[in-house]
Amino acid sequence: MTSLKTFYLSRILGNKVVSEQRKAVGKLEDLVVDLNQVRPMVFALKVRFGSTSLLIDFAHVTIFKQERNYIVQCHQLVEVNIPKENALFLAKHVMDRQIIDIDGRKLERVNDLRMAYLSSGLFVVAVDVGVEGLLRRLSVAKPINQTLKPFGKALPSRLILWDDIAAISPSQDGIKLGKEQSKISTLHPSDLADILEDLDHKTRVAVFSELDEEKAADVLEEMDNETQVSMLESLSVEKAADVLEKMPADEVADILDDLEEDKANELLDEMEEEASEEVRELMEYPENTVGSLMSTEYFSFHETMTVENTILELRRIKPPSDTIYYLYVLDDQERLVATVSLRDLIVSDPQTTLHEIMNRKVIKVDDYDKIDSLGEIISKYNLIAIPVVDEEERMAGIVIIDDVVFTLMKARKRKVLKED
Amino acid sequence: MMKAVATLKTKHISLWKRLAIFMAILGPGIITGSVDNDAGGITTYSVAGAVYGYNLLWTLVPAFFVLVVVQEMNARMGMVTGKGLADLIRENSALKATFFIFFAQLLTDIGNTTTEFAGVAGSMQVFGVSKYISVPLVGIGVWFLAVKGNYKMVERVFLIFSVFLLSYVVSAVMGKPHWTEIGHAMISPKIDMNLAYLVIVVGIIGTTIAPWMQFYMQSAVIEKGLKIKDYKYTLVDVVIGCVITVVVAFFIIVACGSTLYPNGVVIDEAKDAALSLKPFAGEFASMIFAFGLFVASVFSATILPVASSFYICQAFGFEAGIDKKFKEAPQFYGLYTFMLLISMIIILIPNAPLIKITLWSQVLNGMLLPVVLVSMMLLINKEEIMGKWVNKRWQNIVGWGTVSVLIILSTTLVVLNIFT
Repeated sequence: MTSLKTFYLSRILGNKVVSEQRKAVGKLEDLVVDLNQVRPMVFALKVRFGSTSLLIDFAHVTIFKQERNYIVQCHQLVEVNIPKENALFLAKHVMDRQIIDIDGRKLERVNDLRMAYLSSGLFVVAVDVGVEGLLRRLSVAKPINQTLKPFGKALPSRLILWDDIAAISPSQDGIKLGKEQSKISTLHPSDLADILEDLDHKTRVAVFSELDEEKAADVLEEMDNETQVSMLESLSVEKAADVLEKMPADEVADILDDLEEDKANELLDEMEEEASEEVRELMEYPENTVGSLMSTEYFSFHETMTVENTILELRRIKPPSDTIYYLYVLDDQERLVATVSLRDLIVSDPQTTLHEIMNRKVIKVDDYDKIDSLGEIISKYNLIAIPVVDEEERMAGIVIIDDVVFTLMKARKRKVLKED
Repeated sequence: MMKAVATLKTKHISLWKRLAIFMAILGPGIITGSVDNDAGGITTYSVAGAVYGYNLLWTLVPAFFVLVVVQEMNARMGMVTGKGLADLIRENSALKATFFIFFAQLLTDIGNTTTEFAGVAGSMQVFGVSKYISVPLVGIGVWFLAVKGNYKMVERVFLIFSVFLLSYVVSAVMGKPHWTEIGHAMISPKIDMNLAYLVIVVGIIGTTIAPWMQFYMQSAVIEKGLKIKDYKYTLVDVVIGCVITVVVAFFIIVACGSTLYPNGVVIDEAKDAALSLKPFAGEFASMIFAFGLFVASVFSATILPVASSFYICQAFGFEAGIDKKFKEAPQFYGLYTFMLLISMIIILIPNAPLIKITLWSQVLNGMLLPVVLVSMMLLINKEEIMGKWVNKRWQNIVGWGTVSVLIILSTTLVVLNIFT
């Protein structure tokens, strides 16, 4: 009899559970960990007795190895009750399922789980996602490894620490994946968007709904068009509207354009009026016009403002990096008269007014100009953003180079495919 | 109350809007239905027509119902779970069983792909092109279409392909069929009770429901982002697909039944059918027949190996998908290229026994089909997977009935092929 330090879950699943006298009492179906605990400690066994399964307290259980067999011995059968939302069943919810590898930023399928006895109990320490785990389950890992040994090789094994993965079990079991969810939240929005695109729609909605609105908005923005649409159709109207409010109006307009009209209107009605008004205006522009692409988030000032006040104002608003480089000077009728670059602002004396440093030769486009014309202007003048004005020269928004490049690339791809 | 409002709303959807929704959803069923008439299918139908005339046309009626029942279940599972059949099997059955299914799937699909290339080789020989030219060229073309194309583009190409399959109607009509005899054969068929007859009956039904198509159908539904709310439209799509399958099969049997059968021409390859049509229906009919065979073979050779590699990789947790780069998904691309290459090599071996290969790949399909269908029936009855969309009582009666008949037929086919 050897006491075990570490072992794989697959070695004990389906084994007999024996009593003190080594009599078989049932069959081991699953191990249960408590999601409320800081560490994933096993606190119950799911054992099948004939036609019923019961949850048995793990406190009276020892697992050891004897003559190459893994023995699960239960000294006392004590049934336990656990709130459903805290119980993660390792075989049912993790084994053979997909998990998110937080460091590797992708989905992996779990082939096995690595368990370890520590002083305080039995813990899950890692998941096995490698080929070795797969072959071990097929009972061929050992013979293959023995064959490979003389050649100085071994099957590649790949373990990921439990802390570095997030379990994403289907929501219908009502599990609260609180801690797993906070691990997911540490992912970059664009990585998370990629992962969600690969998930089935149920799990996708479950993971997404638990994100806070800011994060959800960032992630939604990064998803491909089809996933965005499917996401908005599956979320509750309230949740979807809350997330959309946190997104830039031009992005929202883009997504809603692809939705069924009724659904889009329903969402717009649910959104705060200020946000939805802007989106509605943008949605009125035809698809290939500058207006449909522009962002309405820009910063404008009056020419009488001093450099110092302008900088103070910028510090207060903290604009994102793609809109801070150019500031726009508008007159009383909201007409665009000049631009001020961030550079000019910083190198000028604090007391100068914008009027003195502003550049009146503004490169701008009309909101109904074709998108195709933007590429030329942007490359010619080396701009990061271009202001957009309406027919009365009033400032309507700005077009950011990233959006232009993205749109032109998409159009180009389509063209190439057509020529094929 | 809520329900009343909901029905009221559906009633208000205009005919045009319904049509628009349907056009957007259309695809998975029709494509699957068309791929169904691959080189193996065409061979079986041609032989059936040449040997038994119109006598076997009745088999298409049960084949149609079985096809609808099976594919409806696939579509429903795809829409409810958002998961592929491969994922569901991996997550819900023992790993050893999963491994067996997918290993068998791999062997079968290599056989099937080989059959498709045999179709390419045969049809091009009718046009005087050597197989040493046609097979490598098509192989390379297929590889690029699958690797470089995206789903939307591929789907469009395939929908056009489906139209070409109607060329069989032309060759059938040119053979001046006797419609009264056809009607008579359909209504009161004269069923022979001998071994050869049974083999061909099993062959027709078996080739209509190939195991890999179940995986393909379910993935196509997911790829298209269909949800259970689209159920009604998807059902129509499925039925249309099945109609296409049997209509094309019908005309192939008619084409051969009106020309080759009365003149006692014996064939055992689809290519022979095309060649033998010439003296009875004219050169044009012969070329049209060969062209249809070519299109069908290329069609299936494009979908089959890439789909098959995709399911296998998904089930075992390797990255997969044509949107991934080679470096990101080496197992997927490796497997795909391997399948294409080995099939091409088998065909290019001088004097390769093409008929035997076709026959054996049908036997393998026959062995795998019951396993896949039983897995499907078990999955679709699990409430934790399907929720309220589990099979209803009558669906289970129809489903299990179909499965048992197919199991009996497949086992008979396998046994007959081994012992005769």
